[in-house]
Amino acid sequence: MHKVISFERGLSRFKPLENVVVYDDFDLGFNGWLDLTPNFVGPGFQQQSSRLDLGSWGPAQLSAAPMRFAASHGSMEGTYSLKLPTRAAAGPYEQPPIAGSMSTAIKRLSLNDPDARYVQLEAWYSYTPHQDREGLGEEDIRAFGMWFDIQDGEHRWQPGVRYVNSVNGELVKKWQYWQVSDGVTREQWTGLEHGWEQVGIDALWCGRRYGDGSADGFQWIPGGAQQLVYNESPDKLNWMYMRLTVDVVAREYVEFQSVDKVFDLRGLKATLSPKYAGITQLINPVFYIEAGADRIVNMYIDSVVYSTGATFPAKRGAV
Amino acid sequence: MLTSATTLVERRTVLTGDFGTHPYEAGWATEALFYVRTEGPHPTLTIQAQVSPDGVEWLDRGARLTLPSDRSLIDVELYGFGTWIRLFITGSTSEQPTTLLVHLALKG
Repeated sequence: MHKVISFERGLSRFKPLENVVVYDDFDLGFNGWLDLTPNFVGPGFQQQSSRLDLGSWGPAQLSAAPMRFAASHGSMEGTYSLKLPTRAAAGPYEQPPIAGSMSTAIKRLSLNDPDARYVQLEAWYSYTPHQDREGLGEEDIRAFGMWFDIQDGEHRWQPGVRYVNSVNGELVKKWQYWQVSDGVTREQWTGLEHGWEQVGIDALWCGRRYGDGSADGFQWIPGGAQQLVYNESPDKLNWMYMRLTVDVVAREYVEFQSVDKVFDLRGLKATLSPKYAGITQLINPVFYIEAGADRIVNMYIDSVVYSTGATFPAKRGAV
Repeated sequence: MLTSATTLVERRTVLTGDFGTHPYEAGWATEALFYVRTEGPHPTLTIQAQVSPDGVEWLDRGARLTLPSDRSLIDVELYGFGTWIRLFITGSTSEQPTTLLVHLALKG
């Protein structure tokens, strides 16, 4: 049999590994991306006990990015992107995130490639606050990022990246990676004596946070200060690229690229947690944004690629 | 074939006063159907569909509906709405709060 393989032109703005598992543009729908919610499995469909209302995050939307004084922004290519909007709600950085202060979108998948050593998540994205007040608004966006929720045959672990944009109104603009600091206890992690969240799981809202932007669940990426493109008004979007590559055999980070900057993360370990029941071979890519003020802030994702491969090309991008 | 999607714009939100549901962009859809579902006791609620040019300022669209205290589910339909839609719900107070879910079914 003679096979002819052709790729969609839009893939040329990504750098996928050998097997493209997911290539989602949002012009034709949600493509299976949905709000990240808790488990409503208790009596009366109540959610599992938690300090936070994990069902409160803002609902994902298909957005043409219509702006208050600009026209519809559309997306980088096509008309729609996936928008993650928070509610108009934020507490102090040092406190656990309050109800509504985040928006998250997840795609629920399972590992399919027995030869995969590497997994990679790539996206073109942008971010801006709701134009409901005067000013630049940049400092009202606290943080955003992306990560993998993985459970293999032995561990559950969540490698990811987080951009700390501002802390209590002061711009920080540095990247972190998901890894729990040594010695963090389960009680410090969840705030509860008992609970279902293992240390290392759900760093987005677990663990203590500190006034310099650090947190129990995240470590600063060496040299990770970066000025992203935040344009001169809340109604201007610029599309940016990010890519995270993870070694699922060694269970460690490999590389992170943001815009034109490539960070070598080899040797940095993910935090390994005990397995959870029933989810072996799970791999879920997730995106999120968190508000830093009582104001809706939005992350827009034009398109996403998740790919796997047995090898990782030695040279992936500009340094 | 049409595209359809259902979202929850409110998920067990507790209302203690006048309340606008989360501003939702539905420009891709030609029809929208909200379902307001209460959990537990609640006062009589009035429900008004609204549209907006920017997700900030809102205009009433269509008839105002009533959900009496002995009912827990009502639907609200919208056509020709542009992009931004939400419901504005009144009747709840801190003494008589309402816990509600709002489903939004879109098709276009």
